[in-house]
Amino acid sequence: MWRRSLLAGLLGAVVACGPAAAAFDRAAIAAQACGGAAGMTDAANAMAAGLVDASADDAKWTVALAGAAIDRGLKCGPGGAMIVRSEGAVNAVTLSPVDGGGGTSPLLSLKNRPLFETVRAAATLRSGATADERGAALAALERRAGSLPPEFFEKAAETEADAGLKARILGVGQAALLNSPDMPKRIAAIEHIAATSDRRALTRVDGLKSDPAYRTDPAFRGAVDEGVASIGRWLALSNALNVFYNGLSFASILFMASAGLAIIFGLMGVINLAQGEFIMIGAYVAYAVQETLRAVAPSLIDWYLIAAIPVVFVVTAGIGVAVEATIVRRLYTRPLMTLLATWAVSLLLVNLMRVAVGTQNLQFVTPWYISGGRLLMGDFIVTWNRLFAIVFAAVTLALTWFVLKRTPLGLNIRAVTQNRAMAGCVGIATRRVDMMAFGLGSGLAGLAGLALCPIYNVNPQMGSNFIVDSFMVVVLGGVGTLAGTAIASLGVGQINVLIEPLYGAVAAKVIVLLMIIAFLQWRPEGLYAVKGRRK
Amino acid sequence: MIAPKKAYLARALDDRVFSGVAAATLLAFAAVALWPGLSGYRVNIVGQLACFALLAVALDLIWGYAGILSLGHGLFFAIGGYVAGMHLLEQSVATTGITPDIVQFMGWTALPNWWGPLGSFSIALLAAVAVSFAASFAFGWVSFRSRVGGVYFAIITQALVYVAMLLMFRNDTGFGGNNGMTGFQTIFGVPFQTPGVAEGLALASLGALGLTLVGCRLLMIGRFGRLLVATRDDETRLRSLGYETLRLKLAVWCLSAVIAAIAGLLYVPQVGIINPRVLSPELSLEIAVWCAIGGRGRLAGAVIGAVVVNAIKFSLSATLPELWPFVLSALVILVALIFPNGLLDIGRWRPAMLTRPGALQPKDAPS
Repeated sequence: MWRRSLLAGLLGAVVACGPAAAAFDRAAIAAQACGGAAGMTDAANAMAAGLVDASADDAKWTVALAGAAIDRGLKCGPGGAMIVRSEGAVNAVTLSPVDGGGGTSPLLSLKNRPLFETVRAAATLRSGATADERGAALAALERRAGSLPPEFFEKAAETEADAGLKARILGVGQAALLNSPDMPKRIAAIEHIAATSDRRALTRVDGLKSDPAYRTDPAFRGAVDEGVASIGRWLALSNALNVFYNGLSFASILFMASAGLAIIFGLMGVINLAQGEFIMIGAYVAYAVQETLRAVAPSLIDWYLIAAIPVVFVVTAGIGVAVEATIVRRLYTRPLMTLLATWAVSLLLVNLMRVAVGTQNLQFVTPWYISGGRLLMGDFIVTWNRLFAIVFAAVTLALTWFVLKRTPLGLNIRAVTQNRAMAGCVGIATRRVDMMAFGLGSGLAGLAGLALCPIYNVNPQMGSNFIVDSFMVVVLGGVGTLAGTAIASLGVGQINVLIEPLYGAVAAKVIVLLMIIAFLQWRPEGLYAVKGRRK
Repeated sequence: MIAPKKAYLARALDDRVFSGVAAATLLAFAAVALWPGLSGYRVNIVGQLACFALLAVALDLIWGYAGILSLGHGLFFAIGGYVAGMHLLEQSVATTGITPDIVQFMGWTALPNWWGPLGSFSIALLAAVAVSFAASFAFGWVSFRSRVGGVYFAIITQALVYVAMLLMFRNDTGFGGNNGMTGFQTIFGVPFQTPGVAEGLALASLGALGLTLVGCRLLMIGRFGRLLVATRDDETRLRSLGYETLRLKLAVWCLSAVIAAIAGLLYVPQVGIINPRVLSPELSLEIAVWCAIGGRGRLAGAVIGAVVVNAIKFSLSATLPELWPFVLSALVILVALIFPNGLLDIGRWRPAMLTRPGALQPKDAPS
């Protein structure tokens, strides 16, 4: 609050003395700077006004003087103002060395400090040696652009050599023009700001509704309303994209977790309750690969996510095959007993991991290729870690489809899924196919764990967070088709993300469950039921 | 051939294992009632075991006889438990005037008005039965109508109890959230510390277990039970013979839910707390594990399983709690692989069966 009123006061002061102080009189300014709090305000205002047409040399001097005032290097002695530096004192007007004895350092008041900081940044923008330095000065100016004369940024942009910085200076200048007394300029500035359409622009333009001109000037009001509406539209669109993007990444994980479940369920009529634990093991194997790389080849550690892909798949598929061969195979005609037996396996795996590694979350390195993201529009940021999961799932989908449709194993899996007895009659080793498919499904779950480790917490209990959702995907998608699983994952993922911000995560789960129960009334065997007699 | 009416009760006791379990229940009842040397802790354990056995019997009705596995029976147990919690809180406030903690951490000034009627035990009992019946009827009707069964039904019930757990963990849901309900002072106006209260609760649980066992056994050896088994073994044939299996399944499903709710109602006063953790999918799975370990489709197996598993759990949680999950998973895998119909089959087991898994699969066992 006090800040806003301060700015308003400042603005008044600058506008009032703007035209009068066009000439740059160093001596007068230096004298003012020694004239107490009121004098210092005058000095800052004079410098701000003068900077519009100031030469590079004047700008450098302004940097020195404002900097000295801020750092308490300014001394007011009997011989006039001095700037005290570590190598000695200089005259504040000529910058030539003088004897620095005597005098007092004036203290910057709370009100004057931002003025001097603004002046210093503005002067640095005009005289800074490197583009970085000028860029930093511009960043500092951005929030206080209104306290400088509006023409300042146009002039600064003219002399700016760096093209990117020039555009930024113009942008900040436009923003400063929002406060210009010249109405057409203000309106142009509003339109310019509305073109960037992020949340900050919205607050800025929306804030103008409290401007007195909003009530008196219909053109201004029209421009503000139009600006707010336009930014609002873009923000709504970018929010929708954000929701869609998050839903897509959640759906990717769900798909990888449930693809294996669906294949196994279609083939053997068995739900593997240990699927969540295969996800967990996948993440732990990825961690082991990371730690191995750290020990063996630290320079390659960023690539652990890629290096872990084959390792994770082989290890989890191997564990899956072992579980199938020792337990699931012996329970063929009893799918409900298999449910309990695989639950026992999951209990065993969680507790083994808890005892062997501990319950704490694992720490993963975030490789450069999945850190950060790209701002596409408005607030919509494509983050690389989520994109990694999405691309990973898409590739997995393609490969799994290829395995199922184009390889002998896939042919066998499809044959056994459709008619086990007949497949056996034509010489397919159905038990072997079961084993391979169980391995494939477990391997896919392991890969889901790998894709999860940059996004979620990895601990022994992590599997249980996904398992209910992926069961729902299998129920919704029907068995034996990848397309059903993919579409059901998209549906469950998107609906979850869509409802979550409105009613909360729990409501999202409740609604998804109710929708699935309702859906089963209509299609009891899922989206893609295999045609045939109902069993 | 239909047996003469007179022999009906006798026929119920034909099964030696069943008679044994029924006799053991009676014996436990007598011991708790008459043996003053039994410590309060032991009495409490016996009471809890009886509740778990009751819960297992409820699941055995639906899984063992109708072949429908529910992995969400914790939901009905919790309905009974929460109703008991509300009843005891109302009771305690009415008799002692002490404000329970739940009022404080929920940010209330008093217990919600609509809990008031639950202060009466008969209304609370009615409410537990009615709510569990309504919930099971609604869910059972939509599921059985669209012929959702087998593994599908199992995982949808699991999702149901999981979602219920998430709901109850929220404070806004209004049942104490994460903390649940605790701090019960009195039951029927008698403070919990009074000697004899623990015995009374254990006796009530044992009595309920005994009556349920005999009642369900009579029901299951009758026409209804045989139709249920027929539904389990070949639903299509039964339907083409003109029986509406939806009604059969719905009836046993609702009966099972109500028994589970009564088990919850009896359990909560004995442990003194009810919170959303009884709704965790693991607990519901464990109920199925008790039945699987004891043996399904004979009621007695459920009681044996629940008592054996929980007795091991109680004794381990006192000494080596971290060992429990390993013991449990080993038990389940062992039973699944070697004793397909649970410990009831132990007498029929031969070493040769190790190499021929499934040889013990009895003709009348559900899948």
